[in-house]
Amino acid sequence: MILAGHSAALRVAALSAPVFAALLAAFAFGPYPLSPAETLAALWAGPSAVNDAATVVWQLRLPRIGAGFLVGAALAAAGAAYQGMFRNPLVSPDILGVSAGAGLGAALAIYFGLPLAAVQAIAFVGGLLAVAAVVFVAGRVRRHDPVLVLVLAGVAVGTLFSAGISLVKVLADPSVQLPSITFWLLGGLNAVAPADLWLAAPLIGAGLLPMLLLRWRVNLLSLSDEEAAALGVNVARLRGILIVSATLMTAAAVSITGIVGWIGLVVPHAARLLVGPEFSRLLPAALLLGGGFLVAADTLARSAAAIELPLGILTALVGAPVFLWLLARSGRGGA
Amino acid sequence: MNVLEAHGLAMGYRHRAVGADIDLALGAGEVLCLLGPNGGGKTTLFRTLLGILPPLAGTVRVADRALADWSRQALATRLAYVPQSHAGLFAFSVEEVVLMGRTARLARFSTPSAHDRGVARDCLARLGVGHLAERVYTEISGGERQLALIARALAQEARILILDEPTASLDFGNQLRVLKEIDALKRQGLSILMSTHQPEHALRVADRIALLKAGRIVGQGPRALATADALADLYGADPADVARSLPQLAPA
Amino acid sequence: MKRRDCLLALAGLAAAPWTAALATAPATLHVFGVPPAPERVRRVFAAGAPAAVLVHALAPDALLGWPWPLSAAARGLLAPAARGLPMLGRLAGRGSTLPLEKLVALKPDLIVDAGTVDAAYLSTAERVWRQTGIPYVLVDGRLADSARQLRETGRLLGVMARGEQLARYADTTLLACGPGAARPPRVYLARAADGLETPLPGSVNGECIEAACAVNVAREPGGGLARVSREQLLAWSPDAIVTQYPEFHALARQDAVWRRLPAVRDGRLFLAPSLPFGWLDGPPGINRLIGVRWLASRLHDAAPSSDWIERARDFHALFYGHVPTREELTRLPGLA
Repeated sequence: MILAGHSAALRVAALSAPVFAALLAAFAFGPYPLSPAETLAALWAGPSAVNDAATVVWQLRLPRIGAGFLVGAALAAAGAAYQGMFRNPLVSPDILGVSAGAGLGAALAIYFGLPLAAVQAIAFVGGLLAVAAVVFVAGRVRRHDPVLVLVLAGVAVGTLFSAGISLVKVLADPSVQLPSITFWLLGGLNAVAPADLWLAAPLIGAGLLPMLLLRWRVNLLSLSDEEAAALGVNVARLRGILIVSATLMTAAAVSITGIVGWIGLVVPHAARLLVGPEFSRLLPAALLLGGGFLVAADTLARSAAAIELPLGILTALVGAPVFLWLLARSGRGGA
Repeated sequence: MNVLEAHGLAMGYRHRAVGADIDLALGAGEVLCLLGPNGGGKTTLFRTLLGILPPLAGTVRVADRALADWSRQALATRLAYVPQSHAGLFAFSVEEVVLMGRTARLARFSTPSAHDRGVARDCLARLGVGHLAERVYTEISGGERQLALIARALAQEARILILDEPTASLDFGNQLRVLKEIDALKRQGLSILMSTHQPEHALRVADRIALLKAGRIVGQGPRALATADALADLYGADPADVARSLPQLAPA
Repeated sequence: MKRRDCLLALAGLAAAPWTAALATAPATLHVFGVPPAPERVRRVFAAGAPAAVLVHALAPDALLGWPWPLSAAARGLLAPAARGLPMLGRLAGRGSTLPLEKLVALKPDLIVDAGTVDAAYLSTAERVWRQTGIPYVLVDGRLADSARQLRETGRLLGVMARGEQLARYADTTLLACGPGAARPPRVYLARAADGLETPLPGSVNGECIEAACAVNVAREPGGGLARVSREQLLAWSPDAIVTQYPEFHALARQDAVWRRLPAVRDGRLFLAPSLPFGWLDGPPGINRLIGVRWLASRLHDAAPSSDWIERARDFHALFYGHVPTREELTRLPGLA
């Protein structure tokens, strides 16, 4: 599946066509009955038109599709970086506990009845704090392989924060706060407003930038630490930068959509199958595929029934079987 | 002139010293072979010489400058490391693997250019495996992988190579191939420090040998140093057995 | 033959309490153990929020404590004696926050729980009774049965007259919805700060809508809570939107998308008070009776009066045994 330089780059470029077609198609779906002609007319008329069609297309569907693409791309990129960095294709961006931290922050904020903006902000901060705790703990342990220590610390901290979430759920009022907490944890894009996009996009962009700039050097992290160092890379610093990047992107994404799993795990795999593991090609492929996949899942979530199907459930329903298939397949060939 | 030197080096990890009193010198354009039993400290020594493990005492100098004064990237343009070939985890192409060697010569945010790709292909061609460039690294044989890793080190355009058991787990044919390449590289002026478990290989390619046992250099000098007695002492074997297995050894 | 009959008999005996409970329909009280004589009931533990409201309304002196932490604002609107009652925790099977030992240490005469009665709740109640020896009473708690609940629980707690008084209020509140002139109004009940959480028809959280002779605009099958999108709301275009969340109420009035809804534009977005107990929900108990009257008035009266303070005071006096001042009530979101 590996092709040298040029045709793989072509594949990345070729990927953007179907993804953007899928994005456009997503505009045509939704509970509000709009024919494709009406949708196109509303798109053409611009955001300042004042009618229901314009509101639906510009205020509701556009931010939602935009946010879906942004979040899917962010999660997939973070997953691709982590899978290379941890030298394990079965790693997801949650491995250092960012989702558990964000979940605990959101659960606490909902439990205390704080306003929406506070819920998002506290979720974001919670995600950052969880990873900071993991990095801090891992930094104190010097005896073992640093990557292994990170993973174990991430599992421990993630479990700790998950236990915290469970505790909040027990204490919450079952008829008032508990449903809100549960829905938040399942993930969804139905409450996304343009303001969320304006906040999350720069954060995700700030996280993506170092990854883009250092895309060649990231490849070297898949070698052993010794080899990478001997090839001229400051391994600890590069790892640190990637962790900050991926955490920023994932925390920002989770704070506006809740916990949407499997994208960070499965999409980088699919991207790797298409364009190979070389990160300067893998990154754009993962961004495109992740964004497209989440938009497709969200389109299903909002049009399959009158009520919203939680996004996390849909991605799991698709992601888990794909993951198992990849697992079986990788046993027979290369990753 | 010595391109790589260690003086009074004590090496080890924070709570465990592995070796001490190590004096090692690699001259320009020569091949120095390190011989010694398992657990003798070869890996630790290489890590220390590469600057990956801080020395517990003593100094290491590369190209007449203290190791501590070299930045990681600058060091990689002078000193290249070839580990034992490993299976590899991700399906990079051989060319991409060799291109990783160019990283030290790239600016911080750049990706390899056409020139870098040309250098990579040249290095592969020099080793006679240019046809492998498009193949997947995880799908080629062990010997081919070892050659690819040597090509990666060459792509660094470093003049000093450290090879860690380059013929381990290779079949006979591949072993000969690698040894021939080491010879060729020496003739091109590179300085090579290599370790091996096979004294006959050392006798074939080395200009000088060093004997490392239990973290100490118990002998360092020309090939003739490798007598049956010396090797028997090094590996804890019977000198008669050694002489029988290696008839080309210098007489005691 | 004999063995099979024995086994059948045993199986019948084992299933008897629950099947008996479910078979006789529609019973309101399910009793495990032998409750003390009504006049001897002094200490009652309420296992959940709706039960606490029920017991507090009928026999406030007997209530041992609240199953959830009441806010200071809520306590301020209750009778002085009730304000100081401790928070004890709830009994809900695995979801309990009260250890059984603490329950026994409280020495209640009776445990009362109100809410959905299904096999799971019945078996939990029986378990607790067997383990602690305290009689356990489950009150079937649908809103439509409020009058009967009040009467029967009143009899159980030895306050029949009071139960009758409150039941009459419930009777007059929950009048059968006549065929009416026009079709029933379609109402959206908004929960959560963003207003995008709603109870589906059949859910206990949305009963107030049907009781006010309206129809829940979310017509999906299922009985719990669900999330919806604003686009879905635009498609539904409900006749009225009602909520207990002041944050959502403020958001809907100034957000451009929510304002496109006719209900919001034409002023049919209603905010109900949630203190001390919600008028529409939270807890889903008899506290909703005033909310039903209020909602019915808002939806059906041609010229609904905007001053509900007096009626709220009457309700508080009747059900909660305390009359808040006009100022205190005016400060409640929804009544201002």
